[in-house]
Amino acid sequence: MMELNDKKNTALKILAEPKDSKLVTHLNSCVHCGLCAESCMYYLATKDERFIPARKVELISSLYQRYCTVTGKYFPKLVNARELDEEMTGEMVDQLFGACTLCGRCTKHCSIGVDIAYVVKTGRQMLSTMGMVPATLQSTVNAALTTGNNMAIPVEEFKDTISWMEEELRDEINDPQASIPLNVPDTNILYTLNPREAKFFPLSISAMAKIFYAAKESWTLSTNMYDVTNYAFFSADMHGAATIAGRLYDETLKLNAKRCVLAECGHGSRAFRWEGPNYLQKSYPFDVLTSVELIAEYISSSRIKLDKKLNNELITLHDPCNLVRNGGIINQQRFIIKNTAREFIEMTPHGTDNFCCGGGGGQLAMSEYNERRMKIAEIKADQIRKTGASVVATPCHNCVDQLMQIDNKFKLGVKVKTLAEIVADAIVLEN
Amino acid sequence: MICSVSLVYHLIRLIRLGSPKDFSKKRGNLKSAISYSFIGAMNPLKKESAYLHLPTYTAGILYHIGTFVSIIAFFFFIFQFGFANSLQWILICILTASSISGLGIFLKRTTQKKLRSLSNPDDYISNLLVTVFQFFTMIALISEAFAPYYFICAGILLLYLPLGKLKHSLYFFAARYHLGFFYGWRGIWPEKNGGYIE
Repeated sequence: MMELNDKKNTALKILAEPKDSKLVTHLNSCVHCGLCAESCMYYLATKDERFIPARKVELISSLYQRYCTVTGKYFPKLVNARELDEEMTGEMVDQLFGACTLCGRCTKHCSIGVDIAYVVKTGRQMLSTMGMVPATLQSTVNAALTTGNNMAIPVEEFKDTISWMEEELRDEINDPQASIPLNVPDTNILYTLNPREAKFFPLSISAMAKIFYAAKESWTLSTNMYDVTNYAFFSADMHGAATIAGRLYDETLKLNAKRCVLAECGHGSRAFRWEGPNYLQKSYPFDVLTSVELIAEYISSSRIKLDKKLNNELITLHDPCNLVRNGGIINQQRFIIKNTAREFIEMTPHGTDNFCCGGGGGQLAMSEYNERRMKIAEIKADQIRKTGASVVATPCHNCVDQLMQIDNKFKLGVKVKTLAEIVADAIVLEN
Repeated sequence: MICSVSLVYHLIRLIRLGSPKDFSKKRGNLKSAISYSFIGAMNPLKKESAYLHLPTYTAGILYHIGTFVSIIAFFFFIFQFGFANSLQWILICILTASSISGLGIFLKRTTQKKLRSLSNPDDYISNLLVTVFQFFTMIALISEAFAPYYFICAGILLLYLPLGKLKHSLYFFAARYHLGFFYGWRGIWPEKNGGYIE
């Protein structure tokens, strides 16, 4: 009982002792206009009122009211101030973990400007403090913390996969000297991977290696720390997130790479580039950029040569929320596709207004909510269907996984590709 | 006085807590993003909360214009400044429209299941108090005989303001600031088409 109270108090401290004015601001700003409802995939797909973004904010602000304001303490019914009890935590887990992808679409469209995704993440942080993260998501975080990558791939297996991909690369470009370097110090680039690539989609590794080869880049992978993902970002476990980000930080310094390039992973790039320095409370002494930006750089500086005719199919683009709406990488992927494919068509809506694939916010890791995840995916399926495209490109391996499931469930008949794969297909190698 | 002290307390608290300290490398221009947050991003064409809900959005805008007019009129009444006759009738027209809008928003909240599920007593009280305040401002502009009722209403509103969601009159500005800071730091706002197009 004592332990439970301690956990509860630690969780409430997050509300009572804010480190800046952001949380207090957003908890005091929602006017319950309800106009955010139609910006949320969960509400649009289910019409369930519990999923209105303002209801999710209300969960946290009702606790804030109860424990941190005079009105909530003395007139709780007036402002719907609530106790942090079992019923409340149950609702919080269901709505904050199970019915939000943290896509931030509601934030952008909120009539006031409440950062709804930030408030939801604060709620997740409270639940994380109380040890109430859904078991499946927690096990993914634990795998990363204990094995160094979220899929618990042993180092030897990883080395075998890289060696196999190196052979593939040599065969494809007909150069026995081509390589996928491992643990090389003092390179220009330390490149990262999503462990899904090593486990399920190794061809995307050789695709990126081919791009590096064409650009004559000095680069390396690390066998010690290559995982770009950070699922503790989703579970809002600040210590875990800092540990994972710290490993990549340390590895970049250890190998003395000038730039750390983040593979096509929306949340991974956000967690390391934007959130990582704040988890670690220090700035990075090296450059961090996404592979999307790097490829765009190669194209604009003519370091790689491309032939659009090698990609003949109609391509559409899915914008990953963490990379685009929350990361500002908006035009680079369009620039890349327009230079590598003959035909490109935008989804409606797209860019910072795009709908999430449905797999964000840790949803793909939380099998407890699979049914809900695939229900909201109808929206993305409709978006894709309306484009008439036969290829869906997306610079995020999480999105790739969800989009492949969408393709399968809704019988779209599309191929889902990363940008590296599309670029690699269009590369023209000089003699 | 109570209202002013309370709002000043909230303002000082916000200032003391300060902006978030971000250790990541800034990619955008904070000044232009924050000003975009207050101006460009408020364009109804940029927000689904506006363009998907035009009648409610229009009512909301009218309602808030009425609130600002009422606040200005309040100081005119306190300091016994007069209004030119033509201006007085313009204000009466604005306040009539805003009071009707306020009532409409109140009715929407009471009749729509989706909104009822979101609402607490404070939502109804705040909405009603501001609507009645606007209505009494309009009446007081028509006839000074209603001044005592007007001041009672204004007093109740000002006493209630720091207790509930009407505090958003202050926090709204902080929310727009923080949103501009977040999107501006990462180079998302102000929205632009430059860079890597074509």
